[in-house]
Amino acid sequence: MSTPAISIENLTKEFRNPSVFDRSTVTAVRNLNLTVEAGHVYGLLGPNGSGKSTTMKIVLGLVTPTSGKTFIFGRDSSDVESREAVGFLPENPYFYKFLTGSETLAFYGKLCGLGGKMLRERSRELLALVGLEDAADRRVGGYSKGMLQRIGLAQALVQEPRLLVLDEPTAGVDPAGSRQIRDLILRLKERGITVMLCSHLLSQVQEICDRIGIMHHGELLREGALEELISIENQTELVLENATPALLAELRQRAESSGARVIGTHKPQQNLERYFLEVTGEKK
Amino acid sequence: MSTADPTTADAVHASAHKLFSFRRVGAIAGNTFRDLVRQKVFYFMVLFAVILIGASLALASLSFQGQLQTVMDVCLGAMSVFTMLLAVLSTAMLLPKDMEDRTLYTILAKPVARFEYLVGKLIGVALMLFIATLLMTAVFTAVLAYWQGREIAGIEMNESAQRAVAQIAAIKAGTFTPTLFGGIGVLFVRALVCAGLTLMLSCFATSWLFTVISALMMIIVGHLVPIARSVWQGPFGAADVPFHFAILLRIVTVFFPDMQLFNVVDDIAVGVTVGGEIFLRVAALGAGYVAIYLLVGYLLFAWREL
Repeated sequence: MSTPAISIENLTKEFRNPSVFDRSTVTAVRNLNLTVEAGHVYGLLGPNGSGKSTTMKIVLGLVTPTSGKTFIFGRDSSDVESREAVGFLPENPYFYKFLTGSETLAFYGKLCGLGGKMLRERSRELLALVGLEDAADRRVGGYSKGMLQRIGLAQALVQEPRLLVLDEPTAGVDPAGSRQIRDLILRLKERGITVMLCSHLLSQVQEICDRIGIMHHGELLREGALEELISIENQTELVLENATPALLAELRQRAESSGARVIGTHKPQQNLERYFLEVTGEKK
Repeated sequence: MSTADPTTADAVHASAHKLFSFRRVGAIAGNTFRDLVRQKVFYFMVLFAVILIGASLALASLSFQGQLQTVMDVCLGAMSVFTMLLAVLSTAMLLPKDMEDRTLYTILAKPVARFEYLVGKLIGVALMLFIATLLMTAVFTAVLAYWQGREIAGIEMNESAQRAVAQIAAIKAGTFTPTLFGGIGVLFVRALVCAGLTLMLSCFATSWLFTVISALMMIIVGHLVPIARSVWQGPFGAADVPFHFAILLRIVTVFFPDMQLFNVVDDIAVGVTVGGEIFLRVAALGAGYVAIYLLVGYLLFAWREL
């Protein structure tokens, strides 16, 4: 079995009250154990304040755990070297406004030890990947929200990481931009990149994640393969096209005679996002 | 996309991670410099310094020595204030701005050590201060050259040749001295110490304003360090001062920079010739202060929750 992309062992994080007069602590993450296998898209879900962002920050070495350990591809994530394999996109990222798109990628590339021709080619590739070739020479300060998210994703990918950590990657982005980012994540998955993402947009998580974990009050309440967690074991959905009323009546009758119960019949609805993109002519 | 292409990816990941990389530090320093150059405060302060230097011309309605003295006083004084303020104000905003914009997260989520980040930021500020000092020196030199030229032109018209040559030599020797440029170097070193101090404070401060106020306060108190030291190490020793006062004096002498070290510029402004060993001593002490502030800043920043 391959080394997991992320291993979290008995992780606890307590934040001390900043007040001098109150030395109490707040537990943001409590005894968390989690494994993200390489090649998976993992969704870490939870309401605000559930501890998912703190968990991400600990994995990235931005916050020190009170106890427990986190590993990235088997390396202690507190080691700077472990971040060679990680790309991170924070929620609502801002970049240096005076840099252009390609300068931004050059800056982050240099931080990862890239340079020269390799970096120039890599920047061009990534700008094409995120659809920002035309905006490569425009200052990032003039980018729209969706463009910022996409340049953020490009900088996260600059050193060809094996793990991508995304915090609310589609927050505040319009449906078309959101769809582009989601498609991009799926393409990265196809190329074997592990993705861990935090999102409140559950429908999107459902579309792209293999596994999910649900956190609340710093604890992991549920964890597992998405299909297993949300499917209703004793129910089956049958979708028919061009079925006549007679056929439907017959099916109902046969189902009931065999001891099954028909809970309901309804016309399937298409996704509102897809409908919106059709209407606005931006469906791919 | 070439993520599937193992060649590039292997080249990136296979190279051993260096604890300190000039490329990473250079990228941060270059970016910091560009960011600072774009700040309006930089232009405003340089412009203000230029105006002050220009104003010195109007003040000098005295003999040549008097004019020279006034020009030197005003110019060195203005450069002293502006380099120090520039160092404190520009450094204080670096960390809070990166934290507020979350660019710090994206930088430190890359294989960048926090020490490299701080060193990069300080080098960026140093580069900006160097350019600012250079610009102010250029204006200062132009002003002095103007006064020198004017005085020499006056001599040639009124004096005998032999006497004129002697006077020209005296004027030239009194205007541009190595001590003068050494003094400007001292101002630059002092600005670096102020920048290092401010960077250290911003590593634990929660607001830009706190950093600026505490840095300026430490710099002001730093001028009292020799007094505190003389009381502490005086002929009667610390035993003669109350215990709590002795502790306070000790804190001041240990933790505050001795800003009097840099007051050699005051002597230069009044025409005193200062030996080269003094400049070397100031440069070494300045480097020592910067190194200590960087180290303490790193220790504070390493433990900071982002």
